Amino acid sequence: MTRLDDPRHAIEVRAVSKTFRLPHHQRNTVKEYFLHPLTRTTFEVQQALDDVSFSVERGEFFGIVGANGSGKSTLLKIIARIYRQDAGTVEVQGLLSPFIELGVGFNPELTARDNIRINSALLGLTRRELEERFDSIIAFSELERFIDQKLKNFSSGMQVRLAYSIAIQVDFDILLLDEVLAVGDERFQEKCFATFQEIRAAGKTVVFVSHDLDSVERFCDRTLYVQGGQPQMVGETSKVIDLYRQREINAGPAIAVSI
Amino acid sequence: MSEARVNLAIAEHPEERRRGASYLLRILGVTAAADYKLKYSGSLLGYVWSVAKPLLLFTMLYFVYGHIFKLDKVSAYYPTSLLMGLVCFYFFADATMLGMYSLVMKESMLRKLIFPRVVIPISTVVTAAITFMINLLVVGVFVAAADITPRLDWLYLLPLLVELLAFVVGVSLILATLFVRLRDLSQIWELVVQLFMFGSPIMYPVGYLPEWARKIVFLNPFTQVLQDARALVLYPDVPRNKITVDQVFGPYGRLAPIGVALAVLLVGLLFFRREEPWLAERV
Repeated sequence: MTRLDDPRHAIEVRAVSKTFRLPHHQRNTVKEYFLHPLTRTTFEVQQALDDVSFSVERGEFFGIVGANGSGKSTLLKIIARIYRQDAGTVEVQGLLSPFIELGVGFNPELTARDNIRINSALLGLTRRELEERFDSIIAFSELERFIDQKLKNFSSGMQVRLAYSIAIQVDFDILLLDEVLAVGDERFQEKCFATFQEIRAAGKTVVFVSHDLDSVERFCDRTLYVQGGQPQMVGETSKVIDLYRQREINAGPAIAVSI
Repeated sequence: MSEARVNLAIAEHPEERRRGASYLLRILGVTAAADYKLKYSGSLLGYVWSVAKPLLLFTMLYFVYGHIFKLDKVSAYYPTSLLMGLVCFYFFADATMLGMYSLVMKESMLRKLIFPRVVIPISTVVTAAITFMINLLVVGVFVAAADITPRLDWLYLLPLLVELLAFVVGVSLILATLFVRLRDLSQIWELVVQLFMFGSPIMYPVGYLPEWARKIVFLNPFTQVLQDARALVLYPDVPRNKITVDQVFGPYGRLAPIGVALAVLLVGLLFFRREEPWLAERV
């Protein structure tokens, strides 16, 4: 069971830090261990997240903004328990549905049908539940004609459509969305926006990572801004976005990408 | 604009949704089925290949060892005994090799989805086990052709299969986890598998080994299982202490290799559990 400080919260992230050790000289063979058993490998320590704390309330649409490499995706993966933090704690109350990066763990050699079967099973659907929801998944993705095609023949936009359709059809209380709008066309974006409204109205929680500041502003109740792994500001979306725009977009050479 | 369709129900029993034996079995079934499909869809002969491979090897080895080295003269059941050994060995080699690569091959799933990671290596073992079962049917045909009548004590074959499976799962878990860190492990393991093949009494009778060597090979659960199976099916009249583990370790000698199998499984599970949180960032 989770131990939340506040029962109104869906997610509590407390003092989370994460470093990735990037070895200068990758030692990942047995040969290396034999040839140089005593040499210590030197590391470049990359601090992906540095003492990040925030909480997401139940039913909240929570945004995370930041430049590329600022730690947004790492944060999402730690919340989803895909990565393990070095320090700090993460408490989650409710069932997560992750949409992490493009592709969402599809196998390119399998058909869309098989990939739906695998993903939905991993996310907790029983065979019967999948049968009931299969048509809805396909209908939303608008991929009826391609259902028995291998995923490797799908464009990245098509893959994202399919992945998002699965993510919103499994049982979930909390939806983690990482760049869901990045490759889709306008029509798909509009459909996503419509589902956002529905999800919000149903009282579910969404964590929304995006470079599309307009949609962050449109949907997110509160937003977190991270820079270089450090939280800069959490709070009312418009104020956070103002700070972000001011710091990273207007100032100096643009690093951030705005769609 | 078309109507948006979302599953709006709040999750029931969120804690149990992705937990428990039925969930594990279900995702194991789904991933193993997909693995099996992938494994043979790429090859020209498809599923036929899985049976043809050990049979081709069998034909060659039978010619060399049965005819040229005249092992045919030792026992009337030499061909069946050889096939039994090869099929079991093939399962061991197939499952551990695929198991070793499994985590690295499923890299994108590990990085993007939440589920118990142990399912991945185990599902490749299940995939290899399906091939193994099909191959055992061929062994059954050989047994039938040799005019051997089934007996009730063949039921002992089931615990033997379970033991072999436990051993193979344990080895696969260790290899899969190590391979994430040591990418040249595959070359080493290929060699080990070769040594394993000639170091186990697959092609030759175990009695041909000197006593010190028998003490070593019978510590291997694979040898104990194979010899017990041969004794049960092919040589019910031969005293047990002639061909099985009894001959080196006495009447309770079976406990030694069974202990090894369980120890390997336990080490595999513990090692995997220790490494599990870090797999996604290392694959």
